Amino acid sequence: MSHGRDIGEAIVRPRLSIPGRLGLLLLALFGLLPVYWLTATAFMKKEAVFALDRPLFPVDPTLDNFIGFFQNDLLLQNLKNSFIVSTGTAVLAVLVGAFMAYSLSKFRYSGRNAIMFMFLIGQLIPGALLLISLFLMLSSVNLLYTYTALIISFTTFTLPLTVFLLKGIIDGLPDDILEAAKVDGLSRIATMFKIVFPLIVPGLITAAMFAFMRGWSDLLFALTLAGPDKQTLPAGLTQAFIRDGTADWPALMAASLITSLPLAIIFILLQRYFVSGLASGAVKG
Amino acid sequence: MQQAILDRPATRETTEPRSGRRTTLGAKDRTFGFMIALPAVLLFLVIAIYPLVSSIGTSLYDQSLLRPERTFVGFDNYTAIFGEFVARLGTTLTFATLATIFPVLLGVALAVLLNARIRGRNILRGTLMLPWLLPGVVVSFLWAWIFNDSYGVLNHLLTMVGLPEVSMLGNPTGAMAAVVIAKTWHSFPWIMVVALSVLQTLPSEQLEAATIDGATRSQRFRYISLPHIVGPVALVATLEFIYNFGNFDTIFVMTGGGPGDSTTTLAVSLYQLAFGSYELGKASAMGVLWLILLAIISSAYLLLNRRLEKR
Repeated sequence: MSHGRDIGEAIVRPRLSIPGRLGLLLLALFGLLPVYWLTATAFMKKEAVFALDRPLFPVDPTLDNFIGFFQNDLLLQNLKNSFIVSTGTAVLAVLVGAFMAYSLSKFRYSGRNAIMFMFLIGQLIPGALLLISLFLMLSSVNLLYTYTALIISFTTFTLPLTVFLLKGIIDGLPDDILEAAKVDGLSRIATMFKIVFPLIVPGLITAAMFAFMRGWSDLLFALTLAGPDKQTLPAGLTQAFIRDGTADWPALMAASLITSLPLAIIFILLQRYFVSGLASGAVKG
Repeated sequence: MQQAILDRPATRETTEPRSGRRTTLGAKDRTFGFMIALPAVLLFLVIAIYPLVSSIGTSLYDQSLLRPERTFVGFDNYTAIFGEFVARLGTTLTFATLATIFPVLLGVALAVLLNARIRGRNILRGTLMLPWLLPGVVVSFLWAWIFNDSYGVLNHLLTMVGLPEVSMLGNPTGAMAAVVIAKTWHSFPWIMVVALSVLQTLPSEQLEAATIDGATRSQRFRYISLPHIVGPVALVATLEFIYNFGNFDTIFVMTGGGPGDSTTTLAVSLYQLAFGSYELGKASAMGVLWLILLAIISSAYLLLNRRLEKR
């Protein structure tokens, strides 16, 4: 690294002043202390958090709260539902979304711009606005309180994101590849499945994971369209929380950690993409 | 929410066809292109667009989940809920505005600070993403626990340093502050990541030239860095505002809209009307009024989007 580069680096990335460091520390504490408290509480005994001299760290740590979660049939059913619904959403969203993205990226037809506009607007519609009609419609076709109801709803609301993500990636594929496939006599469907999709596997996985997270985190639809047997963890925990009040905070925090764990794993797998590639490519800079 | 970051590509969809494509794609290709778009379009029409349109119909009926039949009442539902709508709109605007301003300030501040040379900044940036990652309900449970009047850690800490306890969820102002803080905590990482990535695209030559010309550090920030990030940040702020406007989980879990109706936003109110009182017609009327507002706000977003696109 040359001397001149060092000076440039010092200007672009100046050292932090003392007030700057202090500010960063305070903001970081605001960001991270609640995460600590979530984790710490999950390992505390129920009596400990209600005691007068309640500690700020798990003095006598216990796994009971986690064990309790896995002994609770209702929560286990919720967990299973969460996996089924989120996986279903991921698969359907990627399949339908990849078709759509390929279409928007490499084909021109009338109505194409209208479709893109519809999806751009679609991502701004809040779920609450669709709730009643969706409820009535699903009920009239006997799909209320089924996995299908949740999966198709989540898929729809993940589609704009899935489509625009994949379209961005397919846009980067040179047209020569498609033309070569055509010259080789490959059908249009074969070109899509044998040439295009294999080339964008990382994008497909990323889109699938985002769709999974969407299905995993939702509350509103899970609460209204799923019914007691099919509802996912956020809805199950919320109903238990409202019903039982604040009876057992450590158990709730442990359940919260378990609910967050799959998302943390996905984040670790995708972190590079999240932090650097995505944000910088996503915003016009 | 996590879709937010990825929504960004939506703003860049105007990529023009590369040269040579039009000459090789025939009518059959166009048909094929349209056919593979159909599943997504149909799903979207049935699950998103049709419900929006059909809610306009429902809003004209006296319809309840408790009765199978419905009766046409014209605009009665609208007159019945209008006062309620205006009140809830005020609460929604308060929440959406505050829950947008604070994450933006916090996120931009963190981005600027993390853009400096500092040890462990990658680790810090990574771990500060954690709040954004958690499902909304988990964020709500966590902050409800922190703010718990009797056993919450906030009051515990306040007592330890000799300060008076605060009642957050028990009074109207405190409850609004509590949900805003929770939402701020959930959203700031997204703004931080966007602002940071935009800051990193700033050409270093500009900053170096300004330094040679004698610009101080604060001048460089004021006249070079800040104008550079203001557009993208305004865009994410608008999106954040739109999402906050429709927020359900933070408020519903933490306060249920209370105490009283001090934190009852449009989303919570609509849910309560529909699934608490089973008044589908009135709830739909509220939704339609909301939809009209949303159209106005969305136009602002699209306009901003287009302007940035042209830049």
